[in-house]
Amino acid sequence: MFRAFRFIVDLFTQRHGIIAFVFFLLVGLLMRQAPNLVKENIVSSVLGTVLYPAQMALSSLNAYRSIVAENEQLKQENARLRQETYYASEGLQELTRLHALVRFDDKWGYPIVTARVVGHNPGRFLTTLIINRGTHHGVKENMPVFSMNGLVGKVTKVSYAYSRVQLLVDPNLKLSVLERRTRVVGFLESVDGRTLMAMVPTHAGVKAGDTLITSGLGGIFPKGIPVGTVKSVGQADLDVMRQMNVIPFQEFSSLEEVFVMEKEPDWIIQELLDE
Amino acid sequence: MNKFKWIKLFLIYLLAFVLQTTVGDWLQIFGVGPDFIVIFIVAIAIKYGPATGCFWGFLAGFAQDMYAPVEWLGAHSIAMTVLGFVVGQLEERFLTLNLPAKMAVLAIGFFVCDMIYFLLTGLEKDVVTNLFFSKTIPECAYTVVVGAVVFYLSAGKAGKKKHGV
Repeated sequence: MFRAFRFIVDLFTQRHGIIAFVFFLLVGLLMRQAPNLVKENIVSSVLGTVLYPAQMALSSLNAYRSIVAENEQLKQENARLRQETYYASEGLQELTRLHALVRFDDKWGYPIVTARVVGHNPGRFLTTLIINRGTHHGVKENMPVFSMNGLVGKVTKVSYAYSRVQLLVDPNLKLSVLERRTRVVGFLESVDGRTLMAMVPTHAGVKAGDTLITSGLGGIFPKGIPVGTVKSVGQADLDVMRQMNVIPFQEFSSLEEVFVMEKEPDWIIQELLDE
Repeated sequence: MNKFKWIKLFLIYLLAFVLQTTVGDWLQIFGVGPDFIVIFIVAIAIKYGPATGCFWGFLAGFAQDMYAPVEWLGAHSIAMTVLGFVVGQLEERFLTLNLPAKMAVLAIGFFVCDMIYFLLTGLEKDVVTNLFFSKTIPECAYTVVVGAVVFYLSAGKAGKKKHGV
């Protein structure tokens, strides 16, 4: 077999390959002159047995390349869409907040100063915030601070461009509250810097799930700002009082921006504060 | 010619085929790309002489004929057989070809191959003229540039020249 192959090869290579050249040229010319039907048979048989399987293997390379390119493109598009979705979501949230702000503004009739939270106290418990608004923006001490969800606290220290906000969970802040359903008035404070406790008369019948709002009696906070919901009701030291665990509407650790209501304390409270 | 040489040439042809169907597409600029098959035939013919050149020219041309219109079957085969044979003859006459000479051979071979192909396909004169300026000339230039790189890279591996299949 090999000898026969060798014989053919030697024959073809004689005379500087002229025999091979003439042979292949003749084959080419024969194919060229063959009827179309024969040509089609040649093409289909060669394609089906040799070239298509080989081509299939090769095309997988191109397919791989196109997949890689498509993957890259999709990644970029995904990143862009994520960015857009993020901005849209941010914009929507801001719009919601602004709508709510308009309602707040209308409800109490005091000018509102929007402020961004730029810091908080360094302790383990979050009791004060720093906002980027000060006397330059009309902020004064004892002005109420709230968010979209509810009351946050009050301004305790003011500088030219910054203010310190005392949060509801600050043990030094006492607040007069009103239970919305029973209309009973109590007071709210935090004893440990984390949880809010409210005291109301026993006869009022306040129960878990009731809502507390500011009563407006303290002279600092206007009436009607949502404060929180009653989580549980327990016995106080005095039988005539009930002690309640209150969950504030606003989660203080996630605050990004707050609103300062430009409401100065009532004159009598101001006098007391001055004294 | 030993068995390993056949295998080696077959693998080189396969490489040229793969390059033509993959890299050749990627390298296209305004629809003009290099012809790795022509580079392969010229390189083989230069190195191994006319018999090997016309054999691989015929095979490569036949493979290209499979993708051409059925009526033109044989046109590529003949054109590339002639290319392989003629380039192989040149190499036999001038036993040492430097890089510029190889590039010139490649360019002339490309033109000759295209002209034979156009002649055999019986295309009209206007079509041929259009194809000559829009395809042959730019693709020839591109192929010569790529071919120069191939020749340069393979020059280090070129050993003693042997002729015959």
